Order: sequence, then C-alpha cells, then structure tokens
Amino acid sequence: MNPDWQGAWLAVIHHPLFGIAITLGAYQLILACYEKTRWVFLQPVLVSMLVVICILVACGVDYVEYRKSTDILSILLGPATVALAVPLYLNLRRIRQLFWPTFTTLLIGGVVATGLCVLLGWLLGAEHMILMTMAPKSVTSPIAMLVAEQIGGVAALAAVFVLITGVIGAIFGPGLLTLARVENPAARGMALGLTAHAVGTSVALQESEECGAFAALAMSLMGVATALFLPLAVSLAV
Amino acid sequence: MLLRGLTWLVLFQLVGTALNHLFLTMLPGPIIGLVLLIVYLMVRGEVSESLSLAASSLLRYLPLLLVPPAVGVMVYAADIAADFWPIVGSLVLSLMIALPFVGWLMQKLIQRQARRGGTHES
Repeated sequence: MNPDWQGAWLAVIHHPLFGIAITLGAYQLILACYEKTRWVFLQPVLVSMLVVICILVACGVDYVEYRKSTDILSILLGPATVALAVPLYLNLRRIRQLFWPTFTTLLIGGVVATGLCVLLGWLLGAEHMILMTMAPKSVTSPIAMLVAEQIGGVAALAAVFVLITGVIGAIFGPGLLTLARVENPAARGMALGLTAHAVGTSVALQESEECGAFAALAMSLMGVATALFLPLAVSLAV
Repeated sequence: MLLRGLTWLVLFQLVGTALNHLFLTMLPGPIIGLVLLIVYLMVRGEVSESLSLAASSLLRYLPLLLVPPAVGVMVYAADIAADFWPIVGSLVLSLMIALPFVGWLMQKLIQRQARRGGTHES
C-alpha cells in the first residue's frame, strides 16, 4: 500500500498550527541572521513577512486562512500596545530639564513629518486610501497600524510603510544630521526617534546613551501624539 | 508575577475598548488603554515589578506579533504597484526633509534654553 503523501501534505498545510509554525520559524531564522550580520536591511518584521508570503504562495494557502491560524498572536498586539506606556513613563522621568524644547519640537516636528508626507503623496497623485495609510508612517508599527485603520487606511500596508521609513532613516539619518550641523546628542536622538521610530532609536543607541534615551522618548511621544491627534485632524478635515 | 502584570495590561485594554465604544469612537481601544496606563503610572509615581516584567516580556516579542498583520500586504500588491512611485517618493522625500529639520529645531531650542538659563543665573 502506498502512503498517502498528498493527503498528509494537505493535512499539514491546512492545520491551524501551520501559520504559527511558519511565522515562528521565519522570525527566528531572520533574527539569527540579523544578530550575526547586523545588516540594517534585515529588519526582522519586513524580511519575516516576505518569507511567510513566499511560503504561503508556494503552498497555495490564502491570507484569510493564515490570519485565522495566527489569531492568537494578533490578540496579544492590544496588550503589547498598552505596554508601550511603561517605557514612555520611564523615559519621561529622565528629561525633566529639557521638557519645553522636547515638547515644542514634538509638536512642530510631528506636524511637519506627517503633513509633508501626505502633501507630497497628494501632489504625486496617490489615492486617498494610500495617503491615509502613509500618514502615520513615522510612528512605531502597532500604533501606526491601529491609526491607519481608524482613518481609512490599511493596517498591513501601514506596517510596511513604517518599516521602509525606519530603514531609510537608519541608513541616511546620521549623515543628514551631520550635514545639517546637528551635533547635540539630545537633538540627534530626538530627530531619529521622532521620524524613524524603533529603527531610528536602535541607530541612536549606537551613537550614545543620551542620544538613545531621547530617541526612545521621541518615538513614544510621537506615537501617542499621532494616535491622539491624527484621527482628530482627519475627522475635522473630511 | 508575570501573570499579574499581564492581567493589568489586559484590563487597561478592555477599559479602553469600553471607552472607545461609549464616547471616543475616533480613538482605538488599545491607544486609550495606553494613555490610561500612563496617567495611572504618573499618579502612582512608580512602575510595579509585575507590570514592568509583563511589559518588557511582551514588548520583546512585539516584532513577532507584527508579522501576521504585515503579511496582509500580499492582498494589496496591486494597490502598491498602482501607486508605487508616489509612495516611494513621498516616504523618502518627507523623511529626508523632516529628519534634519527636527534635529536642527531641537538643537536651536536647547541652545536657546541654555542661553536663557545662563542669563537667569547672572
């Protein structure tokens, strides 16, 4: 009797754990590669996403089925977003004496970073859905995805735009800041964290501890400010 | 310890969800939960051990949690292809302009505050 290879294969790829298995596998593989090479293009989320998409397409499993089998991971995203409050609170305590420069920069810089992107996208002729997805591109992915969905964009695309922004910021950020004669470590950190979120923060941490602390602070402040005011601004504008 | 912290995080998120449905429909539930937790921490003045343990464990795996929603991009391949150049152009240009601007602004403001602080002392 011939073993039923075809049936076994189908049972495996349509098992509810298949999505979890390829996600965990791809993520750990990319993480190991990233830690070995420290190559900035190997952003774990971005590359894992590509690997998982390739596997799904090769196996002929559609996104709806994959999404259902990874529900358990997605459910944890909510509490993880709430947990961002802890590092924000710890960072807030560290910067008492630079409160006003930080706050003013957050306000003006945040509006410029967000507004400029939407304006350029509109001038270049992107459609409304894409514009609303690009608006939160400067903030950390879980917040950007929630906000994008809220204002009429697409969460999945927002995650990708956020990652692209972060990687560009990490590659060109330090050079651009030096060109603009920005030497103050707090100012460099602020710029990297505010515009390039977590990826920028990891670059800032390599520069100095002060630079990294301000980047982490700017990232979380920008995240919360965007989450609070971007939906409000959009609902007023439409 | 970890479970107690996790329970708090889940509770804050659920309160956020309730508020989202009742009054604040323009803000997502987890964001309201995040703001409530910051306010709570500020009032308390410290982070309890269980909460910081749960938060750091969960945030360590944040990139992993983001993979499944990001895979959804495969459904929108056509939309990206249609708007490819506007997307890349505005993402790259806005970052190239905004990043040095933010750094420059922050540096100017820090210098101004330092000068003012100096005149106060003299």
